[in-house]
Amino acid sequence: MSKTLLKFIFLALILIIVQVVGLNHFCIFGVAMAFAYIYLIIHLPLDLNQNWVLTVAFFTGLIIDIFSDTLGMCCLSCTILAALRKPVLRLYIPREEELTDPCPSMSSIGTSVFVRYSLTMAMLYCACLYLIDAFSFFQPVRLALRIVGSTLLTWIVLLAVDSIVSRSDEKRL
Amino acid sequence: MRNLINFFFRYSAWILFIIYVVASCFLLFRNNPYQQHVYLTSANTVSAGVYSASASLTAYFNLKDINEDLQRRNADLELELLNMRGTLAAYKEKDYDNTVKPDTTLARYSYVIAHVINNSVNKSHNYITLNKGELDGVKPEMGVVDQNGIVGIVNLTGPHSARVISLLNPNLRLSCKVKGHNHVGSLVWEGGDYTSAILEELPKHAEFEEGDTIITSGYSTVFPEGVPVGVVTKGMRDHDENFYTLKVRLFTDFSTLSTVRIIGDSMKEEIDSLERTSIEPNKKF
Repeated sequence: MSKTLLKFIFLALILIIVQVVGLNHFCIFGVAMAFAYIYLIIHLPLDLNQNWVLTVAFFTGLIIDIFSDTLGMCCLSCTILAALRKPVLRLYIPREEELTDPCPSMSSIGTSVFVRYSLTMAMLYCACLYLIDAFSFFQPVRLALRIVGSTLLTWIVLLAVDSIVSRSDEKRL
Repeated sequence: MRNLINFFFRYSAWILFIIYVVASCFLLFRNNPYQQHVYLTSANTVSAGVYSASASLTAYFNLKDINEDLQRRNADLELELLNMRGTLAAYKEKDYDNTVKPDTTLARYSYVIAHVINNSVNKSHNYITLNKGELDGVKPEMGVVDQNGIVGIVNLTGPHSARVISLLNPNLRLSCKVKGHNHVGSLVWEGGDYTSAILEELPKHAEFEEGDTIITSGYSTVFPEGVPVGVVTKGMRDHDENFYTLKVRLFTDFSTLSTVRIIGDSMKEEIDSLERTSIEPNKKF
Protein backbone atom coordinates (compact mmCIF):
# COMPACT_ATOMS: atom_id res chain seq x y z
CA MET A 1 0.00 0.00 0.00
CA SER A 2 2.70 2.44 1.03
CA LYS A 3 4.73 1.44 -1.98
CA THR A 4 1.81 2.13 -4.27
CA LEU A 5 1.26 5.44 -2.49
CA LEU A 6 4.88 6.47 -2.79
CA LYS A 7 4.88 5.46 -6.41
CA PHE A 8 1.77 7.49 -6.98
CA ILE A 9 3.19 10.57 -5.22
CA PHE A 10 6.36 10.30 -7.25
CA LEU A 11 4.35 9.94 -10.44
CA ALA A 12 2.21 12.93 -9.47
CA LEU A 13 5.26 15.10 -8.81
CA ILE A 14 6.84 14.13 -12.12
CA LEU A 15 3.67 14.70 -14.12
CA ILE A 16 2.89 18.03 -12.49
CA ILE A 17 6.44 19.28 -13.02
CA VAL A 18 6.40 18.12 -16.64
CA GLN A 19 3.06 19.80 -17.16
CA VAL A 20 3.97 23.06 -15.46
CA VAL A 21 7.46 23.42 -16.85
CA GLY A 22 7.02 21.85 -20.25
CA LEU A 23 3.61 21.09 -21.63
CA ASN A 24 1.93 24.28 -20.44
CA HIS A 25 4.15 26.27 -22.80
CA PHE A 26 3.67 23.84 -25.60
CA CYS A 27 0.87 24.61 -27.97
CA ILE A 28 0.60 23.23 -31.50
CA PHE A 29 -0.96 25.61 -34.07
CA GLY A 30 -2.32 27.63 -31.20
CA VAL A 31 -5.02 25.06 -30.63
CA ALA A 32 -3.66 21.77 -29.37
CA MET A 33 -2.34 21.40 -25.85
CA ALA A 34 -1.40 18.29 -23.90
CA PHE A 35 -2.60 17.62 -20.36
CA ALA A 36 -0.38 14.88 -19.03
CA TYR A 37 -1.53 15.17 -15.40
CA ILE A 38 -4.89 13.59 -16.10
CA TYR A 39 -3.01 10.34 -16.25
CA LEU A 40 -3.03 10.57 -12.46
CA ILE A 41 -6.80 10.48 -12.38
CA ILE A 42 -6.99 7.81 -15.04
CA HIS A 43 -4.42 5.70 -13.30
CA LEU A 44 -5.93 5.83 -9.79
CA PRO A 45 -6.76 2.35 -8.46
CA LEU A 46 -10.29 1.22 -9.23
CA ASP A 47 -10.84 -0.04 -5.69
CA LEU A 48 -10.01 3.33 -4.23
CA ASN A 49 -12.87 5.10 -2.47
CA GLN A 50 -14.63 7.58 -4.76
CA ASN A 51 -14.12 10.29 -2.14
CA TRP A 52 -10.39 9.88 -2.40
CA VAL A 53 -10.55 9.91 -6.16
CA LEU A 54 -12.43 13.19 -6.09
CA THR A 55 -10.10 14.68 -3.53
CA VAL A 56 -6.98 13.69 -5.42
CA ALA A 57 -8.42 15.00 -8.64
CA PHE A 58 -9.44 18.28 -7.07
CA PHE A 59 -6.07 18.94 -5.52
CA THR A 60 -4.18 17.90 -8.64
CA GLY A 61 -6.24 20.39 -10.57
CA LEU A 62 -5.68 23.00 -7.89
CA ILE A 63 -1.90 22.61 -8.05
CA ILE A 64 -1.93 22.86 -11.84
CA ASP A 65 -4.18 25.88 -11.56
CA ILE A 66 -1.87 27.61 -9.14
CA PHE A 67 1.07 27.14 -11.47
CA SER A 68 -0.70 27.99 -14.70
CA ASP A 69 -2.65 30.91 -13.21
CA THR A 70 -6.04 29.57 -14.23
CA LEU A 71 -7.49 29.23 -10.76
CA GLY A 72 -10.61 27.06 -10.75
CA MET A 73 -10.61 25.81 -14.32
CA CYS A 74 -8.49 22.69 -13.89
CA CYS A 75 -9.99 22.06 -10.45
CA LEU A 76 -13.46 21.91 -11.90
CA SER A 77 -12.45 19.85 -14.92
CA CYS A 78 -10.51 17.34 -12.85
CA THR A 79 -13.33 16.96 -10.36
CA ILE A 80 -15.82 16.33 -13.14
CA LEU A 81 -13.40 13.90 -14.80
CA ALA A 82 -12.96 12.01 -11.53
CA ALA A 83 -16.70 11.74 -11.15
CA LEU A 84 -17.04 10.43 -14.70
CA ARG A 85 -14.16 7.99 -14.44
CA LYS A 86 -16.12 5.03 -13.17
CA PRO A 87 -19.06 5.32 -15.58
CA VAL A 88 -16.62 5.56 -18.51
CA LEU A 89 -14.70 2.52 -17.35
CA ARG A 90 -17.95 0.56 -17.00
CA LEU A 91 -18.54 1.19 -20.70
CA TYR A 92 -15.43 -0.82 -21.57
CA ILE A 93 -14.92 -3.29 -18.72
CA PRO A 94 -18.18 -4.64 -17.33
CA ARG A 95 -16.54 -6.76 -14.65
CA GLU A 96 -13.99 -4.97 -12.47
CA GLU A 97 -13.21 -7.94 -10.24
CA GLU A 98 -11.25 -9.80 -12.85
CA LEU A 99 -8.48 -7.21 -12.97
CA THR A 100 -5.12 -8.25 -11.56
CA ASP A 101 -3.88 -4.70 -11.11
CA PRO A 102 -6.46 -2.26 -9.80
CA CYS A 103 -4.75 0.65 -11.54
CA PRO A 104 -6.03 0.97 -15.12
CA SER A 105 -3.17 0.77 -17.59
CA MET A 106 -2.44 -0.95 -20.88
CA SER A 107 -1.09 -4.01 -19.10
CA SER A 108 -3.91 -4.31 -16.59
CA ILE A 109 -7.01 -3.73 -18.72
CA GLY A 110 -5.63 -4.47 -22.15
CA THR A 111 -4.37 -2.16 -24.88
CA SER A 112 -7.57 -1.78 -26.85
CA VAL A 113 -9.67 -1.01 -23.79
CA PHE A 114 -7.10 1.38 -22.41
CA VAL A 115 -6.79 3.18 -25.76
CA ARG A 116 -10.53 3.74 -25.89
CA TYR A 117 -10.70 4.59 -22.19
CA SER A 118 -7.91 7.12 -22.36
CA LEU A 119 -9.30 8.67 -25.52
CA THR A 120 -12.73 9.09 -23.91
CA MET A 121 -11.23 10.56 -20.77
CA ALA A 122 -9.00 12.93 -22.71
CA MET A 123 -11.94 14.06 -24.79
CA LEU A 124 -14.13 14.62 -21.73
CA TYR A 125 -11.41 16.54 -19.98
CA CYS A 126 -10.61 18.75 -22.94
CA ALA A 127 -14.27 19.40 -23.59
CA CYS A 128 -14.75 20.35 -19.95
CA LEU A 129 -11.71 22.54 -19.78
CA TYR A 130 -12.29 24.43 -22.98
CA LEU A 131 -15.96 24.90 -22.31
CA ILE A 132 -15.12 26.39 -18.94
CA ASP A 133 -12.39 28.43 -20.55
CA ALA A 134 -14.60 29.79 -23.31
CA PHE A 135 -17.64 29.84 -21.06
CA SER A 136 -19.79 30.45 -24.09
CA PHE A 137 -20.33 29.18 -27.61
CA PHE A 138 -19.10 32.43 -29.04
CA GLN A 139 -16.55 30.87 -31.42
CA PRO A 140 -17.85 27.34 -31.90
CA VAL A 141 -15.41 26.36 -34.68
CA ARG A 142 -12.36 27.46 -32.74
CA LEU A 143 -13.74 25.82 -29.62
CA ALA A 144 -14.25 22.51 -31.48
CA LEU A 145 -10.79 22.72 -33.02
CA ARG A 146 -9.20 23.29 -29.64
CA ILE A 147 -11.13 20.41 -28.10
CA VAL A 148 -10.32 17.98 -30.89
CA GLY A 149 -6.67 19.01 -31.20
CA SER A 150 -6.02 18.91 -27.49
CA THR A 151 -7.85 15.62 -27.14
CA LEU A 152 -5.65 13.96 -29.73
CA LEU A 153 -2.45 15.42 -28.31
CA THR A 154 -3.41 14.58 -24.74
CA TRP A 155 -4.35 11.09 -25.81
CA ILE A 156 -0.95 10.53 -27.41
CA VAL A 157 0.78 11.90 -24.32
CA LEU A 158 -1.36 9.67 -22.09
CA LEU A 159 -0.43 6.59 -24.10
CA ALA A 160 3.23 7.59 -23.94
CA VAL A 161 3.13 8.17 -20.21
CA ASP A 162 1.32 4.89 -19.72
CA SER A 163 3.85 2.96 -21.72
CA ILE A 164 6.67 4.53 -19.69
CA VAL A 165 4.97 3.82 -16.37
CA SER A 166 4.04 0.24 -17.36
CA ARG A 167 7.56 -0.47 -18.54
CA SER A 168 9.07 0.86 -15.33
CA ASP A 169 6.63 -1.39 -13.43
CA GLU A 170 7.61 -4.38 -15.50
CA LYS A 171 11.30 -3.65 -14.98
CA ARG A 172 10.80 -3.45 -11.29
CA LEU A 173 8.98 -6.72 -11.35
CA MET B 1 -30.35 10.59 12.76
CA ARG B 2 -28.91 7.23 11.90
CA ASN B 3 -30.64 7.41 8.56
CA LEU B 4 -29.17 10.81 8.01
CA ILE B 5 -25.66 9.56 8.72
CA ASN B 6 -26.25 6.58 6.47
CA PHE B 7 -27.45 8.91 3.82
CA PHE B 8 -24.30 11.00 4.10
CA PHE B 9 -22.14 7.90 3.91
CA ARG B 10 -23.93 6.47 0.94
CA TYR B 11 -23.85 9.68 -1.03
CA SER B 12 -20.58 10.99 0.35
CA ALA B 13 -19.03 10.83 -3.11
CA TRP B 14 -21.76 12.98 -4.58
CA ILE B 15 -21.63 15.42 -1.71
CA LEU B 16 -17.90 15.68 -2.01
CA PHE B 17 -18.22 16.10 -5.74
CA ILE B 18 -20.64 18.95 -5.28
CA ILE B 19 -18.42 20.55 -2.67
CA TYR B 20 -15.41 20.37 -4.99
CA VAL B 21 -17.37 21.70 -7.92
CA VAL B 22 -18.65 24.59 -5.86
CA ALA B 23 -15.16 25.30 -4.59
CA SER B 24 -13.80 25.20 -8.13
CA CYS B 25 -16.52 27.48 -9.40
CA PHE B 26 -15.84 29.83 -6.52
CA LEU B 27 -12.16 29.95 -7.41
CA LEU B 28 -12.97 30.23 -11.07
CA PHE B 29 -15.35 33.13 -10.82
CA ARG B 30 -13.39 34.85 -8.17
CA ASN B 31 -10.04 34.86 -9.87
CA ASN B 32 -10.69 34.93 -13.58
CA PRO B 33 -11.95 38.25 -14.82
CA TYR B 34 -13.33 36.82 -18.02
CA GLN B 35 -15.38 34.09 -16.38
CA GLN B 36 -16.40 36.54 -13.70
CA HIS B 37 -17.56 38.94 -16.34
CA VAL B 38 -19.46 36.25 -18.21
CA TYR B 39 -20.93 34.97 -14.97
CA LEU B 40 -21.96 38.41 -13.86
CA THR B 41 -23.43 39.40 -17.15
CA SER B 42 -25.26 36.12 -17.54
CA ALA B 43 -26.37 36.40 -13.96
CA ASN B 44 -27.54 39.88 -14.75
CA THR B 45 -29.44 38.60 -17.74
CA VAL B 46 -31.08 36.00 -15.56
CA SER B 47 -31.82 38.41 -12.77
CA ALA B 48 -33.04 40.97 -15.26
CA GLY B 49 -35.42 38.38 -16.65
CA VAL B 50 -36.60 37.48 -13.18
CA TYR B 51 -36.95 41.11 -12.22
CA SER B 52 -38.85 42.03 -15.32
CA ALA B 53 -41.15 39.05 -14.86
CA SER B 54 -41.78 39.92 -11.23
CA ALA B 55 -42.16 43.58 -12.12
CA SER B 56 -44.74 42.78 -14.74
CA LEU B 57 -46.57 40.75 -12.12
CA THR B 58 -46.34 43.23 -9.29
CA ALA B 59 -47.23 46.08 -11.62
CA TYR B 60 -50.78 44.83 -11.46
CA PHE B 61 -50.77 45.04 -7.71
CA ASN B 62 -49.43 48.56 -7.89
CA LEU B 63 -52.09 49.64 -10.32
CA LYS B 64 -54.38 50.61 -7.49
CA ASP B 65 -51.82 52.94 -5.98
CA ILE B 66 -50.92 54.31 -9.35
CA ASN B 67 -54.56 54.85 -10.09
CA GLU B 68 -54.99 56.73 -6.85
CA ASP B 69 -51.98 58.85 -7.61
CA LEU B 70 -53.32 59.60 -11.02
CA GLN B 71 -56.70 60.46 -9.62
CA ARG B 72 -55.10 62.82 -7.16
CA ARG B 73 -53.03 64.37 -9.87
CA ASN B 74 -56.08 64.59 -12.07
CA ALA B 75 -58.00 66.30 -9.30
CA ASP B 76 -55.17 68.80 -8.85
CA LEU B 77 -55.10 69.53 -12.53
CA GLU B 78 -58.85 69.85 -12.68
CA LEU B 79 -58.75 72.26 -9.81
CA GLU B 80 -56.10 74.26 -11.61
CA LEU B 81 -58.16 74.19 -14.76
CA LEU B 82 -61.19 75.39 -12.86
CA ASN B 83 -59.22 78.22 -11.33
CA MET B 84 -57.96 79.16 -14.77
CA ARG B 85 -61.48 79.06 -16.12
CA GLY B 86 -62.61 81.21 -13.25
CA THR B 87 -59.93 83.76 -14.02
CA LEU B 88 -60.87 83.63 -17.68
CA ALA B 89 -64.53 84.00 -16.83
CA ALA B 90 -63.73 86.98 -14.63
CA TYR B 91 -61.97 88.65 -17.56
CA LYS B 92 -64.85 87.77 -19.86
CA GLU B 93 -67.25 89.26 -17.37
CA LYS B 94 -65.24 92.43 -17.36
CA ASP B 95 -65.44 92.44 -21.14
CA TYR B 96 -69.14 91.78 -21.07
CA ASP B 97 -69.51 94.49 -18.49
CA ASN B 98 -67.90 96.98 -20.82
CA THR B 99 -70.00 96.01 -23.83
CA VAL B 100 -73.37 96.22 -22.14
CA LYS B 101 -74.85 99.63 -22.78
CA PRO B 102 -76.45 101.31 -19.84
CA ASP B 103 -80.15 100.65 -20.24
CA THR B 104 -82.46 103.52 -19.48
CA THR B 105 -84.75 101.20 -17.56
CA LEU B 106 -81.81 100.12 -15.50
CA ALA B 107 -80.72 103.60 -14.60
CA ARG B 108 -81.91 103.18 -11.08
CA TYR B 109 -80.46 99.78 -10.98
CA SER B 110 -76.99 98.42 -10.71
CA TYR B 111 -76.06 94.98 -11.73
CA VAL B 112 -73.56 92.32 -10.96
CA ILE B 113 -72.38 89.95 -13.66
CA ALA B 114 -72.41 86.33 -12.58
CA HIS B 115 -71.89 82.91 -14.02
CA VAL B 116 -74.26 80.05 -13.70
CA ILE B 117 -72.44 77.22 -12.00
CA ASN B 118 -75.41 74.93 -11.53
CA ASN B 119 -78.70 74.79 -13.28
CA SER B 120 -81.58 72.49 -13.89
CA VAL B 121 -84.57 72.56 -16.16
CA ASN B 122 -86.07 69.17 -15.73
CA LYS B 123 -87.18 69.16 -12.11
CA SER B 124 -90.51 70.30 -10.76
CA HIS B 125 -88.80 73.00 -8.73
CA ASN B 126 -85.73 74.30 -10.47
CA TYR B 127 -82.95 76.31 -8.92
CA ILE B 128 -79.90 77.99 -10.33
CA THR B 129 -76.61 78.55 -8.55
CA LEU B 130 -74.45 81.55 -9.36
CA ASN B 131 -70.80 82.20 -8.62
CA LYS B 132 -71.36 85.57 -6.99
CA GLY B 133 -72.41 86.06 -3.41
CA GLU B 134 -72.68 88.53 -0.60
CA LEU B 135 -69.11 89.72 -1.03
CA ASP B 136 -70.02 90.78 -4.55
CA GLY B 137 -73.06 92.65 -3.35
CA VAL B 138 -75.65 90.01 -4.06
CA LYS B 139 -78.57 89.93 -1.65
CA PRO B 140 -81.71 87.86 -1.48
CA GLU B 141 -84.65 89.04 -3.54
CA MET B 142 -82.53 90.54 -6.24
CA GLY B 143 -83.68 89.85 -9.76
CA VAL B 144 -81.61 87.86 -12.20
CA VAL B 145 -81.79 88.43 -15.94
CA ASP B 146 -79.71 87.39 -18.90
CA GLN B 147 -79.36 89.01 -22.30
CA ASN B 148 -82.73 87.60 -23.40
CA GLY B 149 -84.99 87.99 -20.42
CA ILE B 150 -85.88 87.04 -16.91
CA VAL B 151 -84.04 84.22 -15.24
CA GLY B 152 -85.18 84.21 -11.64
CA ILE B 153 -84.84 85.74 -8.22
CA VAL B 154 -82.05 85.33 -5.73
CA ASN B 155 -83.20 83.20 -2.86
CA LEU B 156 -80.19 82.47 -0.70
CA THR B 157 -76.70 83.90 -0.69
CA GLY B 158 -73.41 82.67 0.51
CA PRO B 159 -70.17 84.62 0.58
CA HIS B 160 -69.23 83.55 -2.94
CA SER B 161 -72.37 82.01 -4.34
CA ALA B 162 -76.06 82.57 -4.57
CA ARG B 163 -79.02 80.34 -5.13
CA VAL B 164 -81.61 81.61 -7.50
CA ILE B 165 -85.19 80.49 -7.74
CA SER B 166 -85.50 79.82 -11.40
CA LEU B 167 -88.45 81.05 -13.36
CA LEU B 168 -88.99 77.38 -13.90
CA ASN B 169 -90.21 77.01 -10.34
CA PRO B 170 -93.89 77.14 -9.36
CA ASN B 171 -92.91 78.98 -6.16
CA LEU B 172 -91.97 82.00 -8.20
CA ARG B 173 -94.74 84.24 -9.35
CA LEU B 174 -93.78 87.19 -11.44
CA SER B 175 -95.85 90.28 -11.95
CA CYS B 176 -96.01 90.86 -15.71
CA LYS B 177 -97.98 92.74 -18.28
CA VAL B 178 -98.55 92.75 -21.96
CA LYS B 179 -96.34 95.33 -23.58
CA GLY B 180 -98.29 98.48 -24.37
CA HIS B 181 -101.05 97.78 -21.85
CA ASN B 182 -101.11 98.07 -18.14
CA HIS B 183 -103.15 95.05 -17.21
CA VAL B 184 -101.02 93.06 -14.83
CA GLY B 185 -101.02 89.30 -14.55
CA SER B 186 -98.98 86.77 -12.72
CA LEU B 187 -96.46 84.65 -14.58
CA VAL B 188 -95.93 81.18 -13.27
CA TRP B 189 -94.38 78.03 -14.58
CA GLU B 190 -96.52 74.96 -14.46
CA GLY B 191 -93.83 72.40 -14.98
CA GLY B 192 -93.07 70.34 -18.00
CA ASP B 193 -91.84 72.37 -20.95
CA TYR B 194 -89.02 74.70 -19.95
CA THR B 195 -89.57 77.02 -22.90
CA SER B 196 -93.00 78.23 -21.86
CA ALA B 197 -94.90 79.52 -18.84
CA ILE B 198 -98.38 80.69 -18.02
CA LEU B 199 -99.51 84.25 -17.42
CA GLU B 200 -102.46 83.96 -15.07
CA GLU B 201 -104.96 86.32 -13.59
CA LEU B 202 -104.96 88.68 -16.50
CA PRO B 203 -108.24 90.63 -16.28
CA LYS B 204 -110.68 89.54 -18.90
CA HIS B 205 -110.94 93.02 -20.34
CA ALA B 206 -107.23 93.07 -21.06
CA GLU B 207 -106.31 93.32 -24.72
CA PHE B 208 -103.72 91.14 -26.27
CA GLU B 209 -102.91 89.29 -29.40
CA GLU B 210 -100.83 86.27 -30.05
CA GLY B 211 -97.27 87.38 -30.54
CA ASP B 212 -97.49 90.22 -28.06
CA THR B 213 -94.48 90.66 -25.86
CA ILE B 214 -94.82 90.12 -22.15
CA ILE B 215 -92.69 92.39 -19.98
CA THR B 216 -92.22 92.83 -16.27
CA SER B 217 -94.61 95.21 -14.58
CA GLY B 218 -92.16 96.94 -12.35
CA TYR B 219 -94.55 96.63 -9.44
CA SER B 220 -91.83 95.35 -7.20
CA THR B 221 -88.27 96.26 -6.43
CA VAL B 222 -87.06 93.00 -7.84
CA PHE B 223 -87.21 93.76 -11.53
CA PRO B 224 -87.42 97.10 -13.20
CA GLU B 225 -90.33 97.70 -15.49
CA GLY B 226 -90.09 96.58 -19.06
CA VAL B 227 -87.73 93.65 -18.85
CA PRO B 228 -88.82 91.29 -21.63
CA VAL B 229 -90.15 87.94 -20.50
CA GLY B 230 -91.64 86.21 -23.52
CA VAL B 231 -94.28 86.28 -26.22
CA VAL B 232 -97.88 85.22 -26.08
CA THR B 233 -98.45 82.05 -27.99
CA LYS B 234 -102.00 81.21 -26.97
CA GLY B 235 -104.71 82.80 -24.94
CA MET B 236 -107.33 80.88 -23.05
CA ARG B 237 -110.05 81.55 -20.54
CA ASP B 238 -109.59 80.52 -16.96
CA HIS B 239 -112.09 78.16 -15.49
CA ASP B 240 -113.85 80.87 -13.51
CA GLU B 241 -113.90 82.95 -16.67
CA ASN B 242 -113.07 86.23 -14.98
CA PHE B 243 -109.46 86.07 -15.97
CA TYR B 244 -107.47 85.20 -18.98
CA THR B 245 -104.68 82.77 -18.92
CA LEU B 246 -101.99 83.21 -21.53
CA LYS B 247 -99.45 80.75 -22.63
CA VAL B 248 -96.11 82.51 -22.92
CA ARG B 249 -93.05 81.33 -24.76
CA LEU B 250 -90.10 82.48 -22.67
CA PHE B 251 -87.25 84.43 -24.24
CA THR B 252 -84.75 82.97 -21.89
CA ASP B 253 -83.27 79.69 -22.93
CA PHE B 254 -82.79 78.04 -19.59
CA SER B 255 -80.97 75.06 -20.99
CA THR B 256 -78.01 77.16 -22.17
CA LEU B 257 -77.83 79.65 -19.38
CA SER B 258 -74.34 80.93 -18.66
CA THR B 259 -73.72 84.57 -17.98
CA VAL B 260 -76.42 86.46 -16.13
CA ARG B 261 -76.90 89.85 -14.55
CA ILE B 262 -78.08 90.26 -11.00
CA ILE B 263 -80.03 93.44 -10.68
CA GLY B 264 -79.67 95.55 -7.59
CA ASP B 265 -82.17 98.27 -6.91
CA SER B 266 -80.76 101.27 -5.10
CA MET B 267 -84.25 102.32 -4.10
CA LYS B 268 -85.21 98.92 -2.79
CA GLU B 269 -84.72 99.71 0.87
CA GLU B 270 -86.49 102.99 0.55
CA ILE B 271 -89.48 101.49 -1.19
CA ASP B 272 -89.58 98.52 1.14
CA SER B 273 -89.58 100.73 4.22
CA LEU B 274 -92.24 102.88 2.68
CA GLU B 275 -94.41 99.92 1.94
CA ARG B 276 -93.85 98.49 5.37
CA THR B 277 -95.33 101.56 6.99
CA SER B 278 -98.63 101.02 5.20
CA ILE B 279 -100.82 97.98 5.52
CA GLU B 280 -98.72 94.96 4.61
CA PRO B 281 -99.54 94.16 1.02
CA ASN B 282 -99.38 90.81 -0.61
CA LYS B 283 -95.96 90.68 -2.03
CA LYS B 284 -95.94 89.90 -5.69
CA PHE B 285 -92.83 89.35 -7.65
